[in-house]
Amino acid sequence: MKKSQSNTIKELISITGEAGSLSDSSVLGGYSVDGLVPKAVLFPESEAQISEIMKVSSRESISVMPLGSGTKRSLGNIPTCLHVLLSTQKLNRVLEHEARDLVATLECGVTLESLQSRLKDNNQFLPVNPMHTARGATLGGVVASNASGPLRLRYGTLRELLIGIRVVRADGTVFKGGSKVVKNVAGYDLPKLFVGSLGTLGIITQATLRLYPVPERGETYLVSFTTLEKCAETVMELLKSDLVMNSLELLNPPLVMELADRTGIEAKRGEYALAVRVMNIDKAVSEQMSLVKKVCNEVRGHGATVDGALENKLWEEIVNYPWNESSEDRVKLKTGVLITDVPRVFSELEELLNQKDVVAYASAKAGNGIVDITLNGGASTLTSLVKSLRNLAESLSGSLVVEAAPPDLKRQIDVWGDMGPGLALMKRIKFNFDPGGILNPGRFV
Amino acid sequence: MLGLEVVLPDGEIIELGGKTTDHPGYDLTGLLVGSEGLLGIVTKVTLRIVRKPESVKTLFAAFDRIEDAGASVSGITARGVIPAGMEIMDSLCIRSVEEAIGCGYPVDAGAILLVELDGPEAEVTAQLPIVEEVLRGHNANEIKIAKNSEERDLFWKGRKSAFPAMGRISSDYYVQDGVIPRSKLAEVLGKVGELSVKYGLRVENVFHAGDGNLHPLVLYDGAQEGEYQKALELAGDILSVCVESGGSITGEHGVGHDKKRFLPLMFDESDLDTMNLLRCSFDPKGLCNPGKVFPTPRTCVEPGLKPFKEHPAQKAGLGEMY
Repeated sequence: MKKSQSNTIKELISITGEAGSLSDSSVLGGYSVDGLVPKAVLFPESEAQISEIMKVSSRESISVMPLGSGTKRSLGNIPTCLHVLLSTQKLNRVLEHEARDLVATLECGVTLESLQSRLKDNNQFLPVNPMHTARGATLGGVVASNASGPLRLRYGTLRELLIGIRVVRADGTVFKGGSKVVKNVAGYDLPKLFVGSLGTLGIITQATLRLYPVPERGETYLVSFTTLEKCAETVMELLKSDLVMNSLELLNPPLVMELADRTGIEAKRGEYALAVRVMNIDKAVSEQMSLVKKVCNEVRGHGATVDGALENKLWEEIVNYPWNESSEDRVKLKTGVLITDVPRVFSELEELLNQKDVVAYASAKAGNGIVDITLNGGASTLTSLVKSLRNLAESLSGSLVVEAAPPDLKRQIDVWGDMGPGLALMKRIKFNFDPGGILNPGRFV
Repeated sequence: MLGLEVVLPDGEIIELGGKTTDHPGYDLTGLLVGSEGLLGIVTKVTLRIVRKPESVKTLFAAFDRIEDAGASVSGITARGVIPAGMEIMDSLCIRSVEEAIGCGYPVDAGAILLVELDGPEAEVTAQLPIVEEVLRGHNANEIKIAKNSEERDLFWKGRKSAFPAMGRISSDYYVQDGVIPRSKLAEVLGKVGELSVKYGLRVENVFHAGDGNLHPLVLYDGAQEGEYQKALELAGDILSVCVESGGSITGEHGVGHDKKRFLPLMFDESDLDTMNLLRCSFDPKGLCNPGKVFPTPRTCVEPGLKPFKEHPAQKAGLGEMY
């Protein structure tokens, strides 16, 4: 006989204890997801507690949404059901860091920021710089959402960086996949399955990551062009060269102006710009930057060299603006197209925005074909705008995901788009890992 | 690997991934890579290609002690340099190679380390002196930098002849493939040395020091009764040493039939059950490469049955349910 839900919630709270849970309706509102309010928020302290929670939840059909610090809470379709939020924040220990091996194993609740600060002592870092790092994004969340930033040009994403994983399945079974060494082909590549799986296949409790040495220094050239075409031409010239860049970001005019205002770097109004970043041994930076400037000057770009603390600030703004300012009805999109189709996305965006009360900030990882777009304002026009952009992306063999949006928009458009011919297989995997459908129902696969 | 076309075990042909990245959904492409034919048959692949590096520079260093060669590897990465490749050969390898093809390796060296740097000219030029400094700081008694591609080929000739050169000193060899954390190199070599003594068989060590991937060559004489068996056991014990040091039973060659009995060294029942969930998602009937990779056969639950209810066959001890 099934327990009443309130008794089950009590049983779940007894696992973490009163101190490790929230069930007071007056505070739960602050933990809502797309308008759904959970019945409880749990803060387990260990993998064992998470396993217990899942055993009970599985038995009693309690839907569970795992989250780290919740910076990606808005990612996904509106959940069909939300009983319990399971926070991994208390699993926040770095377990192993063998500097000579350039590998670290840590609990999922470790924040990216604290990890970087800890690794700095050995002059190492995890080469990923996604949004919300300053807001406490956790490694579990970064892996589960496959969050990435401009550094992916040189270092790839979590797909390349994650080498081992521990997970609690929907039924409470704990398993591990991958290994703690950078080269391993034993068994299936389970870590790859979990990157971007958004908590739908299990709750990640530990991650083993590949690390890199911190380059001696970095320098960025922020260069603007009179036309998008010139900008695009420069991108291709830079990619065709022998340069090894850490980041190559194509920025649209509204974003360029905001960046200029917020960092004090000079930039021309109304122009597209490139931010080219080289990080290496001192001499190698100087020599490569000369080549960067030469290429840009040949296309008549006007640029400024940025280094030191200002360089860090510039990239933080590129990655986070405007999401580092509080507001409501913004929409965040991520589209993936061919490198050569990136300019098309920008020009289409410009055209779609003509005479609309919408502002769009767009930055592309030009060497990867990924365009991040934030749309501000004009809720009624946003839906059709998003649909048009998605149609364009899909017609170019790409994809467009709505990474954040108000629930109203989510009710009108599926956030993921076409998942392709593999969807049936993905659903089978989801069913086998979570037959009761209790992990993030409705949010993803 | 950006995408692939795969024939699923039921005959359906699907395309996964594609030319663009960050497709929504699970990374099925990533999952298929390394799945040893158990999930389907891959017929087409879409690959990202990159520019060839502008510059390649190869260094050759000889050491009296293999521990110093190993320590140099860590020393190089500690200085922020990640070479394209780092290879170590032990003294047995050096002597047999020199005898076989005479490529100029110093025959009494304890170990040889090859370091290959590639990238933009500016980067490689800046990295060279750093690597040299590290090598000197770890007692390298001979350091050479290839002046041209002929010299570079000569440095590599010995390494590439390592396996065939075994023919000079042994009638047979069994090549093992294991991975260890780079920091455990000296310790593992010591243990391999002990195993060699225990079994009375020579073991030559060649490895991709840059990523901790060992290829111990167990030398034996197949004509001698029982020696092949001993070689297999020694090779198996080496895998245990690798896993105990925090490594893996395979870095390149895969599990197949040969190593399936060692998979439980790395993965317990829950881990293997979970991998079985994947196999069941792709191949519930077990048509693709049955008997490979996983040591014991497992059945698949039919959709609709709750996994935590005991199935009659399970109750009767006839099967397991996952």
